[in-house]
Amino acid sequence: MSRLVDIVVPRDVLALACEGNRAARQSIYSAVAPATLTLIRRLVGERALSEDLFQDTMMLFFERLPQFRGEAPLGAWLRQIAISRCLMYLRSPWQRARMCLEPVDFGVAAEVAALVTPGFSADLIDLERALASLAPTARAVVWMYEVEGYSHQEIAREFGRSVSFSKSQLARAHARLRAWLEPQDERPSCTLI
Amino acid sequence: MHTDLESQAGLRRLLRALPEVAQQPYGFHEFERRALERERVARDARGSTRLLAAAIVAVAVIAVLWRLTALTPEPPSARGVAPTAVKPEPAPAERGTDGDRILDQERWLASLPREPAVVHVGTRAAVMGLQDRIAQLDDLLSSERDAQAQPARLQALQQERARLVGTLVRVRYAETLADNVP
Repeated sequence: MSRLVDIVVPRDVLALACEGNRAARQSIYSAVAPATLTLIRRLVGERALSEDLFQDTMMLFFERLPQFRGEAPLGAWLRQIAISRCLMYLRSPWQRARMCLEPVDFGVAAEVAALVTPGFSADLIDLERALASLAPTARAVVWMYEVEGYSHQEIAREFGRSVSFSKSQLARAHARLRAWLEPQDERPSCTLI
Repeated sequence: MHTDLESQAGLRRLLRALPEVAQQPYGFHEFERRALERERVARDARGSTRLLAAAIVAVAVIAVLWRLTALTPEPPSARGVAPTAVKPEPAPAERGTDGDRILDQERWLASLPREPAVVHVGTRAAVMGLQDRIAQLDDLLSSERDAQAQPARLQALQQERARLVGTLVRVRYAETLADNVP
């Protein structure tokens, strides 16, 4: 599970934010925004698109905040909103047509690699690049399954597809990522999955 | 050599080790500015949609009214029903005996300009043709009356004349309507 789920917001701050208090909202924003944007960026890749979806997510989050009942951690609730927004985008006919028509932009890999803070191991930088080289749907599936803890059934439901779709996307993504992480001389040329 | 499971577990560990906060978003002020901008765009889009809907409704209402207006004034029938939307002078109403009705129709025709409008070439030809045939029938009726013709024949001629006069009324009424169209 991502650490977004672990973010704790004091109840009084939450109550004030629900009433529309600007300072309280700013405080919550500062706490949750970085992890939210990173999650969205990992799911969709492109920076400009991620910022658009992040803005959507945060606006929806504050709009729905008075409906938050506190049954789950606030971060988990926000994570669900963010993932829903990303999947809504990935499921859209526009995005599907774009994925069919456009080749994968490997420039995104370099852009995403910049996400990794300097000082991290070469393995992590490679992994970040490998993730960025995946097709958006495969990247979202692998992230949701391996990091966010979604089951194949849940992923299939979120995408509106079958369980076998989720399993095949994951298997192909694994193969692709493993190929990236193998020694350099064994790495295959760039092929789309 | 890693097995698939070991490899998958290693991959999962690596994925989870990726930095949770790898990119700082823009600040709260910028978030608010963008939110306001989006609301303004959404409001404008809603306004445009409403304007478009209003325009479509207005066009539909105008089309219906135009259609109703076009249908409302019926041309006077052969039996002499009065027109309802004639500016110059209404066609004669149905009343009294056949003779009275024909007299009314002829009086109404007499109140119109003697020559049909030149712009309506087809109408002009039809009007003049009808007028000629009515005149011929008038001559024939006079001759038959002088020759003491049978009443049945006179009645048939009268009916034919009434039919032609009714047709002439309809044609000229249509002409007056066309003249009043701006």
